[in-house]
Amino acid sequence: MASTTPHLITVDDDDEFDWEAAFREIDVACQTTKPSISCSDNNKPRLSKQSTLDNFISPAGAVPPLENWDTLDRDKSNLVGDEGLCCIDVDAEAAKTWIYPVNVPLRKYQLSITKTALFSNTLVALPTGLGKTLIAAVVMYNYFRWFPEGKIVFAAPSRPLVMQQIEACHNIVGIPQEWTIDMTGQTSPTRRAGLWKAKRVFFVTPQVLEKDIQSGICLVKYLVCLVIDEAHRALGNYSYCTAVRELMVAPVQLRILALTATPGSKQQSIQNIIDNLHISTLEYRNESDHDVSPYVHNRNVELIEVAMGQDAIEINNVLLEVIRPFVIRLCAVGVLQNRDLQTLSPCDLLNSRDKFRQAPPLALPHMKYGEVEGYFGALITLYHIRKLLSSHGIRPAHEMLEEKMRQGPFARLMSKNEVLWKAKCLMQQSLSNGTPNPKLSKMLDILIDHFKANNPQNSRVIIFSNFRGSVRDIMDALAKIGESVKATQFIGQSSGKASKGQSQKVQQAVLEKFRAGGFNVIVATSIGEEGLDIMEVDLVICFDANISPLRMIQRMGRTGRKHDGRVVVLACEGSEMKGYMRKQANSKTVRKHMRNGGMNSFNFHSSPRMIPHIFKPEVQFVELSIEQFVPRGRKGKDDHPIQAPISTDKLTNVETEVLAKYFGTTGKITWRPSLIAFPPFQAFPTGVHKIPHSFRTEILIDMMQHLQGLSFSGNSKTFFVEGEVSTNEHLGVETVEQYDKSRMGNITFNNSNGLCNKPCVFRKDEASMDEHLAVETVEQHEESRKDSIIFGDSPKAQPIRELSYSEESPIRNTKTKEKHSMSSSQGNNPHVHSYLFGSDFVSVDTLGNVLILSVPLIPSKEVSHSKCASASSSMLLNCLKQDSCHSGTSQGQHKGQSMEEKAVANLRTSGQARCTMDETLLISKLHYSLGQQEKKLDGVEEIVQTPILKGSLSHEGDTAVETLVANKTPIFLAAESSDDIGDTDLSPRLTNLIKSGVVPESPINESGPSNGRPRNEFLVPDLVSPAKVLSEMLLTGKNEKVTLDVSTSGQDTLNSPISNGMHSPILRPDISAKARGSNPSSPIVEEVKTPLANLTNNSCSKDWHLSSGDKSASVKQERKFKRLRKYGDTGQRRNMKSMKENSIDPSGNLAETSSIIPIRNKHNRGKQKPVDNVRAFIEEEAEVSSEAEVSDDEEDDQNNNSYDDSFIDDRIDPTATSTQAEDSRSDMMAIYRRSLLSQSPVVRQPNFSADFSPCTLAPMTRITETGSSLSKTTYSLNQSSERNTVSIQINPEIISSEAIPLTSVSPRENERKLESRKRKLGIYQGGSVPAINLERQFQLEAASKESSLQHQAEKIETNGDVFYDDQFYEGLDLDAVEAQATMLLRHKSELFTQKQDPQSLDLFGSPTFDLGI
Amino acid sequence: MDNANTRFDPDLIHAIFKLVWSRTALEREKNEGADPLECEVGAATSKKNRPTSANANALKLSCELLRVFVIEAVERAATIAEAEGVNKIEATHLERILPQLLLDF
Repeated sequence: MASTTPHLITVDDDDEFDWEAAFREIDVACQTTKPSISCSDNNKPRLSKQSTLDNFISPAGAVPPLENWDTLDRDKSNLVGDEGLCCIDVDAEAAKTWIYPVNVPLRKYQLSITKTALFSNTLVALPTGLGKTLIAAVVMYNYFRWFPEGKIVFAAPSRPLVMQQIEACHNIVGIPQEWTIDMTGQTSPTRRAGLWKAKRVFFVTPQVLEKDIQSGICLVKYLVCLVIDEAHRALGNYSYCTAVRELMVAPVQLRILALTATPGSKQQSIQNIIDNLHISTLEYRNESDHDVSPYVHNRNVELIEVAMGQDAIEINNVLLEVIRPFVIRLCAVGVLQNRDLQTLSPCDLLNSRDKFRQAPPLALPHMKYGEVEGYFGALITLYHIRKLLSSHGIRPAHEMLEEKMRQGPFARLMSKNEVLWKAKCLMQQSLSNGTPNPKLSKMLDILIDHFKANNPQNSRVIIFSNFRGSVRDIMDALAKIGESVKATQFIGQSSGKASKGQSQKVQQAVLEKFRAGGFNVIVATSIGEEGLDIMEVDLVICFDANISPLRMIQRMGRTGRKHDGRVVVLACEGSEMKGYMRKQANSKTVRKHMRNGGMNSFNFHSSPRMIPHIFKPEVQFVELSIEQFVPRGRKGKDDHPIQAPISTDKLTNVETEVLAKYFGTTGKITWRPSLIAFPPFQAFPTGVHKIPHSFRTEILIDMMQHLQGLSFSGNSKTFFVEGEVSTNEHLGVETVEQYDKSRMGNITFNNSNGLCNKPCVFRKDEASMDEHLAVETVEQHEESRKDSIIFGDSPKAQPIRELSYSEESPIRNTKTKEKHSMSSSQGNNPHVHSYLFGSDFVSVDTLGNVLILSVPLIPSKEVSHSKCASASSSMLLNCLKQDSCHSGTSQGQHKGQSMEEKAVANLRTSGQARCTMDETLLISKLHYSLGQQEKKLDGVEEIVQTPILKGSLSHEGDTAVETLVANKTPIFLAAESSDDIGDTDLSPRLTNLIKSGVVPESPINESGPSNGRPRNEFLVPDLVSPAKVLSEMLLTGKNEKVTLDVSTSGQDTLNSPISNGMHSPILRPDISAKARGSNPSSPIVEEVKTPLANLTNNSCSKDWHLSSGDKSASVKQERKFKRLRKYGDTGQRRNMKSMKENSIDPSGNLAETSSIIPIRNKHNRGKQKPVDNVRAFIEEEAEVSSEAEVSDDEEDDQNNNSYDDSFIDDRIDPTATSTQAEDSRSDMMAIYRRSLLSQSPVVRQPNFSADFSPCTLAPMTRITETGSSLSKTTYSLNQSSERNTVSIQINPEIISSEAIPLTSVSPRENERKLESRKRKLGIYQGGSVPAINLERQFQLEAASKESSLQHQAEKIETNGDVFYDDQFYEGLDLDAVEAQATMLLRHKSELFTQKQDPQSLDLFGSPTFDLGI
Repeated sequence: MDNANTRFDPDLIHAIFKLVWSRTALEREKNEGADPLECEVGAATSKKNRPTSANANALKLSCELLRVFVIEAVERAATIAEAEGVNKIEATHLERILPQLLLDF
């Protein structure tokens, strides 16, 4: 309206434009508004303007919205108002139509009213139950469509109504629920502010609307439509009026739609509503209208006149007596005209009082004013009591009287009125007599009759009463009438003295229960009169009749909605009856006024059309698809109802049987899945689908492995816990341990013991290797091994303890070892044993150190001179051991000491460097190193004392020295690596490693990846170090092997260890894949595995590459030295080459897991073929075992393989070098068998696990690996045979001729062992599915590599001899198949070997070595 | 099972929940039967006796969790069964993966 005033000012050509061109609504509005309100006058011109504007816009085809036109054309001064209009855009496309839903049957009156309401402010006066809400909803929906940014408000006077209407509107037109919101006073203003911005359709209470408009959080400018429910309330200063006034003051154009069933009981009140709400059109229908009547259910209104009870009459008379004197006095004063006591009503009195206050009679002195006021007050109260008495009974009247008598002016005036006291006594008497109220009894009769005629389940009754007191009376009365009536009260919130109000929650609950049938009678005050839409109500009882016709209509409107209803009005004879009749007549006259849209009776206001005139929306009947309404209280408003798929599929018979099986219908015996049924399975991670294993699962797996004693992880865990070993070391140790355990068959050992034992064994093996190199007898080795194995438990345990003690332990260990060796083996053997033990000790120390991982550990390792490598890794330790052994054998203590010293010095230097890095650490390390060095020296001395050197040993000693040098470098590297690791992240790494180690140890490749990423970083350093360690280990191994074979094997071992080490770290971080790849580093496996590894960990591979590069470099140097020294001419060159190649290989493997690695590996293998073969065998076995053990843990397998390789290499070397092959054969065989036996069970399990493990990739890789391993094993067998020959040849050169046969035998034995292992493996594999796969793969490979195989086979056959025959042939069969894979590598290697061969032609072994290597 | 549309009916889940809750409540009452006075006093007021209920979103979430859980269980058991070369998932397969599965969730 405000915006229109300026228009008036600027343009006042009102009458020039007639409304011909205007739209009907506007015309009507203009016409009607003419006479009355100023606002309407203001609007008129504007409306006409609009119409004219529209006239000349449409021919011109002007597109701009009307509002814009207006502003631009005429009202530049009134920009503000027009801005408000401009910001609401009309969706031109949507505005072409307006949608009328036909989901419910169309009713013509609704359609026509809706059409009107769309284009002008309309007051809809429809009888109750005729679908006002539908009209509102359709209008809202169309405004929702037309104004994409407009906001629509639906105001309803109470919260229950708001909730009811939001659902009703949604169900009618389906405005998306994300745009709708209900806001009541319970919603905090701040939240409302956000909602006003976010939502578009608001269902609010008028109070909220008013407040939000006043506070400005309601975005008034965007309002396009305001629907006012129960508009008859828009009188006076009700929130409706103030809200609309605010909106009209604001420059806002909006559509107002007012809904009511009872516009008013008087013409004036209706006019007030029209004025207050700026209504342009009145749409009125009543039940008798022709378009409405079909939809009106029959509603019988019965008026029952109830005679007052005798008591009530008496009391009434007494009250009249009380009243009389006051009335007379007032009349005497001339304030009260009516002298009829009977007909006076509180209303009359109020009116008279008002009159008196405005114009007091002149004659009356001022002094009397107060007296008159008092009389009026008393009279009003008395009449009220009388009314209560007549319409509600004695009790409410009595309560009222009592209350009034207690205090206030009435009490002062009347407290001494005896007549009133008498009345009160009468009331009390009557109440104490329990005389029933005639209305109550009548009502009960009606109710009982009703429920006799209607099913109490389906019928609903509402009893209205004006006063809560009578509600309580009714409730009391209803409580007595029996089962069929389940009654509850429905009252407002306010708590008075007499009764406590019902909270809105309770009200909602009452209504819900009433709808659902929990109650079938509601006794309600006026709160239940309006708007409640309860379909089933078929009886309404009005306990009091003398109420406004408005309320009566509303009350009656509660019934007759779905089917015919009945209304019973209980009226007390007399005044109540009369009042009722009067009011009914009144309402009839009002109806007349409203006929024909009330045009003749009311003044209407103009209203904006809202939608530009260029749009002429056509009605479109649409069947709207309405989503199910989601009540906000129960479910989030924003979340759509979950479409619960109703599974129509019925269970098949089979399914039913299964159900019956597991969930027996008896219910008594229900199948309960057992969590402990398959403990072995819990030692390995199960394959996962999408949910990776949790940390707790990993713990479980580790624990299970620990408990079962099978798992490497368990050992590693214990180690971690105990010594905090670096992951790499742990892996190596673990693998070693596993092998040892498998070999030892000491599954029952404690983890710690087992771990210790394993490392010891490893070291022993290494030591044995060294010993072999030193030309010790195979028998001794075997014995030593046996001894170690036998005694292993104690010595191992001791070493562990020693480690824990750290200081005295080495000596003791050496002593114990010596003792053991003494006891078990011969004099020579003891030496060997001592060496082995020493090495073992060292290794143990190293292991302990490794466990610690911290720098101090490394120093300690270093202290153990050659074993200083231990710091970095057990490999270093082994090297050191070997060196020490060599030195001891060849040069004796001095050399060993010197070497040790050098190593120590190196270590110290490294340690110093480290110190620079970490002073504290360095210091501690130094101390440790010093102490350890001393101990080690002692140990070395002891070793030196024991050793009986052979001629060959001296050579070996030289080589050992070289190796020592090499070891130094590796040690340095290792130290560095370890330092780095320790310095950087000792604790975190350790923890990580432990964690990762624990988890990864067990074969969770899959789980690894997830964990691996985060851990990879940590691992990287660790990995590097391990890699170095591994390389060092390899180097040492090579050194030990001094011979070409040894070197090659060392290289191989190096590769494998590196790969293993890499794997282990990787595995821990989830590098399992890489580890696998590295495992394959034995060429065959590598190809298959590497890709997987690559896939899994690229970053890791990089890191590894780096580390490998470093390692390789170091390894190369060492190898060179070793080889040069050892082999001198041919061997050195070859070794160098092989070393280089090997070094390259690891790097290549690291860098290029799949393609490059295999090639390099091939080269390496070619050189190192024998070793490789042996290793391959070992690896195969290890793999098998590892696979069997750990389904998914290729890492472990790899580690195992690497360790196995190293072991094997060591063994081979010793065998090759040693002359005691024959004696050792049986021993070795036994040992191997034992190991095999021990492994076999493990293998079986692993196989199963592999089978079970769902990971396709993993099984594939495993299979391929196994295949490769098998082929390798076969090759290795061949190679080993070859090696044996070679070694024999070499041995003669180096050692005595006797040694040669022995050595040859030993290799054969090894081969046999390998074969047996292979056989076992093959058997296991054959049994298991993976085996088949492997075989297939092998076959495939074999086809390609038949030639090589043939060569090998020939060699093998030649070498095979009697010893090998059975096992060998068996192994060969498998091997032959498997060998094909390795053939390629071998071919390559053969090429190399061929090159080498000429050099080592003398030693037939060289080619064999090549093959083997 | 991978069909994202197949979900558990929230009503079903809710019914199951309620069943469990009511059972636990009964057990609790049994266990706390020592002090019946308290129960009588706070029959309507004490939260203890109020039946547990689930928020709609919580219920939805529960359904999703159960769905994931079941899928995971079936898939894992299926891998075991496949590894055994069996086409039918048996209870034993489930038992094998159950401990770790439970720990994973």
